[in-house]
Amino acid sequence: MELWRKLANPWGQEVLIGISWDLMWAALVFGLGFVAVHFVWARAKANGTSGSDHSESNSSKGWNLPVKVLRHAISERVFHWLMSAAMIVLLVTAFFPIVGVQFAWVEIHWIAGLVLAVTILYHIIQATVWQNFWAMWIDKDDIKAGKLELNNILSKDEEEAPKAGKYPVDHKLFHHAASVAGLLAIATGLLMMLRIDTWFGPADPDRFFSDAQWGVVYVLHGLGGVGLITLVITHIYFAVRPDKWWITKSMFFGWITRDDYLKHHDPERWVVGKKEAPGQEEGGAGPADSRLTHGEGNRAT
Amino acid sequence: MAEKLIGQDISPPDLIAKITGRAKYSEDFRADGMIFAKLLLSPMPHCRVRRIDASAALAMEGVFGMLTADDVPAVDAPGEPCLTNEPLYEGEAILAIAAVDETTAAEAIELIQIDYEPLPFVLNPLDSLHPDGPNGRLEGNTRVGREIKTIKWTQEDFDIAGPEKMPMGEPSDEWTVGDIEKGFSEAKVILDETVVHQSLTHHPMEPRSTMAYWKNGKIYMHTSTQSVSRTRAALANMLDLDLEDVVLVGEFCGGGFGSKISGSPIMQVPAHLSRKLNRPVMLRITRYEENYLGRARPGMQARIKIGFREDGRITALDIYALGDGGPYGTNDHMSGGSTASLAYQPLNQRQRGVGVYTNTPPKAAQRGPGGAQYIGMLEPLMDKAARELGIDRLDLRRINAPDGNSVFGPRQGGLTSVHVKEAIEKGVELFGWNERIQRSGQLNGTKKTGIGLAISPYTAGSTGFDGLLVIRPDGKLQIHQGIGNLGTHSIADTGRAAADVLGLQWKDCEIVWGDTSQHLPWSSVQAGSQTTFAHTRANHAAGMDAKRKLQEIAALDLGGSPSDYETSDGRVFRRSNPSRGMSLGAAAERAISLGGTYSGAEPAEDLNDMTKMAVRGLEGKGLVAAARDNYPREGAIQSWVVGFAEVEVDVETGQVDLINYTGVADVGTVLHPRSLRAQGLGGSIQGMGIAMSQKWVFDPVWGVSFANRLYTARPPGMLDIPLDMDWAAVEIPDPQNPVGAKGIGEPPVGAGSAALTSAIADALDGRCLCRTPLTADVILAEIEGLEPAYGPLDLHV
Amino acid sequence: MAVIRDMISGFELFQPTAVDDAIELLSRYGDDGWVLSGGLDSFDWFKDRIKKPTAVVDLANVEELKGVRISSDGVEIGAMTTITEVSKHPHLLENYSILAQAAGHIATPQIRNRGTLGGNLSQDTRCWYYRSGWPCYRAGGNVCYAGTPTSMNREHCITGASRCVAVNPSDSAPALIALGAQFVIRGPRGEKIVEAQDYFMSPAVDIQRMTVLKADELLTSIRIPATWSGTDFYYEKMEDRKAWDFALVSVASAIKINGGVIEDARLAVNGIAPFPVRLEVVESFIKGKEPTDELGMAAGQLSLSTINAQPLRHNGFKLPLMRNLVRRSIRGTEG
Repeated sequence: MELWRKLANPWGQEVLIGISWDLMWAALVFGLGFVAVHFVWARAKANGTSGSDHSESNSSKGWNLPVKVLRHAISERVFHWLMSAAMIVLLVTAFFPIVGVQFAWVEIHWIAGLVLAVTILYHIIQATVWQNFWAMWIDKDDIKAGKLELNNILSKDEEEAPKAGKYPVDHKLFHHAASVAGLLAIATGLLMMLRIDTWFGPADPDRFFSDAQWGVVYVLHGLGGVGLITLVITHIYFAVRPDKWWITKSMFFGWITRDDYLKHHDPERWVVGKKEAPGQEEGGAGPADSRLTHGEGNRAT
Repeated sequence: MAEKLIGQDISPPDLIAKITGRAKYSEDFRADGMIFAKLLLSPMPHCRVRRIDASAALAMEGVFGMLTADDVPAVDAPGEPCLTNEPLYEGEAILAIAAVDETTAAEAIELIQIDYEPLPFVLNPLDSLHPDGPNGRLEGNTRVGREIKTIKWTQEDFDIAGPEKMPMGEPSDEWTVGDIEKGFSEAKVILDETVVHQSLTHHPMEPRSTMAYWKNGKIYMHTSTQSVSRTRAALANMLDLDLEDVVLVGEFCGGGFGSKISGSPIMQVPAHLSRKLNRPVMLRITRYEENYLGRARPGMQARIKIGFREDGRITALDIYALGDGGPYGTNDHMSGGSTASLAYQPLNQRQRGVGVYTNTPPKAAQRGPGGAQYIGMLEPLMDKAARELGIDRLDLRRINAPDGNSVFGPRQGGLTSVHVKEAIEKGVELFGWNERIQRSGQLNGTKKTGIGLAISPYTAGSTGFDGLLVIRPDGKLQIHQGIGNLGTHSIADTGRAAADVLGLQWKDCEIVWGDTSQHLPWSSVQAGSQTTFAHTRANHAAGMDAKRKLQEIAALDLGGSPSDYETSDGRVFRRSNPSRGMSLGAAAERAISLGGTYSGAEPAEDLNDMTKMAVRGLEGKGLVAAARDNYPREGAIQSWVVGFAEVEVDVETGQVDLINYTGVADVGTVLHPRSLRAQGLGGSIQGMGIAMSQKWVFDPVWGVSFANRLYTARPPGMLDIPLDMDWAAVEIPDPQNPVGAKGIGEPPVGAGSAALTSAIADALDGRCLCRTPLTADVILAEIEGLEPAYGPLDLHV
Repeated sequence: MAVIRDMISGFELFQPTAVDDAIELLSRYGDDGWVLSGGLDSFDWFKDRIKKPTAVVDLANVEELKGVRISSDGVEIGAMTTITEVSKHPHLLENYSILAQAAGHIATPQIRNRGTLGGNLSQDTRCWYYRSGWPCYRAGGNVCYAGTPTSMNREHCITGASRCVAVNPSDSAPALIALGAQFVIRGPRGEKIVEAQDYFMSPAVDIQRMTVLKADELLTSIRIPATWSGTDFYYEKMEDRKAWDFALVSVASAIKINGGVIEDARLAVNGIAPFPVRLEVVESFIKGKEPTDELGMAAGQLSLSTINAQPLRHNGFKLPLMRNLVRRSIRGTEG
């Protein structure tokens, strides 16, 4: 398998042109392979354990909780779907022509890239200014949870992992991997727009970098791009898994049920309701929509 | 008495071989065990070779060896080596690989890994003169005297000129005649123009291929060269050999235009490689390689200021020219000043310039070097001035043209003869100027007519070379020619001077040329239009020597004094009694038996050593006559072509159609009318290419050339020239040549080029575009009033 | 690896006598195969060692690809018919003179003797950055060297660029588009027919190909319908030299005039884009109008806005040139 594409520059010096498209296939195989392995493993796991219990855990005791817990505000959902659409368009316009489905992809690609860049920028600002920026931070509990999860996967032992905050550790890991790949692709992609005619001006390809440096830019863009192939495959796989529907649904409707909340999250780590005063019923007094309560994100630790 | 050969149309002896394909050019030769070499050319415009890894190449089956710069004698800067470790232009040869065939050699070249260190490069002379501009060579950017120096102009120099005019900082060369300021103060009309002339590759049809082998310490070389004796001398010098140890064969040369005057540096490669590998080596240069190694006319950027008196007389001509000297600094930006001085006779003149090293293919003289560029740049300005002065363009030329008493150039020397005014008048007649000028500026459909003219002088001779003849026992005259066979017919035509002295018919003459083992005399280079003048004189001198020897032999055997004898029709006979005489064959036998100066045993003292060697080599072959051209000469030898052109410019496309071209030459006596016409019109066509289509294009970022194929370099083709072309000569003999002849090669180029640029400017209502080539895009942009696509000083575009 | 030019490297030469055999060979070799017709484009690539196919399929002996076949509904020209034959064919000269004329402007007489109509239509671009072996988009790289602010791009495109700014070099293409020709393509999956203008590839879609031909497909023939036979044609090619040059801009038009007004028209231009451009907007604009110089001028202006002409640094002249050629194609040369 080739890793890079190289060509001789006008002076006969070998320069990087980009990643080898073999890596695209590798990313695809890796993504699908992961899905297959996980699928088989999850089947086996499901057969080995009894049906899930719906009992509320102890940790929920003493919390005043709504029926529906808002997991993703409308702004977040719009962001997510815009970003997803842009990402799908980017991946299709990037890789379909390579596998032989030919169409005029360049303009769509960079426009979708701009959309992605804008949504990400929005997301960063939102996460920094209005949301708890640290909600995605991997904390000690996450590491502990992660270790236990890994242990559960690797061994027969079953030890209940501690419940997650708003974002489980695997989500956080996905988020960070996607951030790295996405930001890499976006940053390099924005630079690459200098090399073509866009709304912002005609191509000026010699600006800023030598051809060797541009080669690195293209390689990074390619790595980000093929990384996203794997990430998007796994992301979609989990989204369509029945055991994750409760999360997927929340990306459509915004909320999760109190049951799911209590089953998967630690109210101490994802503070949604108020600590119940003795005698108060659940779904008690609240603002306009008392049935839906915003979470605050993870408790800072 | 035989009819004089001079002035007749006689086919040269090599014609049939050329037409039938039997002529053997250098790449047609083979030798036992011969192998082929291929070159590795620099991909960068300036770099240093840090490391060469040829192990894989040399390990290939069929590869015999490699020659690098380390294997050839070093050359002091700014001299040009045949292989280099510091390439100074894209396409410079770094090494050669020899293999059983070219395919193998090429594959081996591809296996070579070279580590290059890129170095600063410059393509445009003006960029190098900028305060922080790069230098083309590590040692500097120009040559002052014999030293390489760096000249940088100040930012102020650039600021004063602004973007539209050429700046004029410190020059490296300068000469002045008269008082330039006074000249301008007397002028009524003053033009101050910035002009660009492109560089052009010579592109002869035959690339400079060479085959070489060694035998008993002697080198045998077949190469494509303009000159034979002079190339032999150059090669002996390059290889540090005695003349006797160099055998050079170059019977045919498929064109050179000044690019193969004494061969070329690359011919050393097969010589060294052959010595290193002990095998004959053939190096066939491809068209692509020819583009790089094959020399080019130096382009220039010039600031031209001309002052005219009310009556049209030029009072001041002030030219500042930058020469694009390439990496080895061959330039003609200064020499053109002399041509301008001669053509326009300015009352005061200043010529300044800087020849700048650039990282573009090496430059060399190209047919009319300097003069062709200057005439091409100046003639449209003459037209512009004529319009401003309200003087007829033809009259403006007549007013300023030189006559027999004129002097010119920095040394204000005179001329052997000048009849340009007669040429103008003859051209006016032949071209039908008075009728055609009525159409000037007329629009017919979308086509606008322009009429142009140009006056183009150029050096047309040299003196002091040797003629060598043998009258054989069979009565034939062997004329030995050390000049080359460039296709100009000089090898045959200049020999007529000797035949006419002896009164021989052409069928009794044989030309010996092109192979130094056949005993060739010391000659002028076959360049600079020299051979007609130089070798009619040398052959005339040798003819006179032969005649004297015949007379002496006749007097010895038949009595009387030598002066009683005459030669004609193959005999030497008593003038008073023509039946008393002897055949030339008998005289030749007698010369052999007499020995001494007659047989070649004792060459004359004043002959060149090469000629002496040839004379001795011919001893016993007959009556050997050899003489140095000691005829007096005073003044510069200059020929002239006056060119006239009618064009139609399509105002909707910018396309130029050349309707008619007429050239009239002042070349003294016409040696060979058909050949003269071919030279005159051929040279003019070459000039038309300069005016209209041929160019260089470089990418400024990478310093790499694009117009490196014939189809991208765009020399003119058959369809670009009119069927309707006329040619004539004024036919007034030059008094300082025994047969009255002067050369023709150079001057038509400037005439062809400038007649066209002048005619195009006329069709554009006198607007001078001040650059060549005038391609359709440049013309259309002017017609449409578009922002020009090229800056006024842009080169290589 | 050092570079050397002007020396063809070795390949395996196949000289099939049937189209299907040629396709079989091309399928076998895929991207390592090469179709050789007249060789004028191919040998340049081979000599420069920039393209090094392992198998060259020479179509010279495939007789079914040669010749002009006349039928009641038009004419079919085999792709391997020489350009000389196309330029001198009496039937073409009489009925489709625009094609014969365009063919007569291709390169030189010598090249026309060797070159074929199919080769002329399928040839690669002459962008000198690309032809110099530079690693541009078209060569699989990630930059267009010709489209930068400092590039030498006098010959390049003013419309249709997508990263690559090269132009299509074919002289016969605009004539065939104006004639409403169809191109017959055969491959392992059978035969298909495309409209002339759809034969050419935009770099936006595939930056490494000039035509829709895949590696295992052949252009077998060109069908010209009788629709435009004998109408008023105009062809003009502007080039730097009158022979052995590629078009700066070329124009071809077929105009049916009835009762002094334009009844129907087809116009195509080449040398302005990476593909020949049909000017449909101009065609409908001039319909029903008299072919005057005023109309020509208006149509010329319209053609520039239709294609959204954007000059590069050195090719601004192509705008007035194209405008004027379109103008002339409607009103004829004389003003």
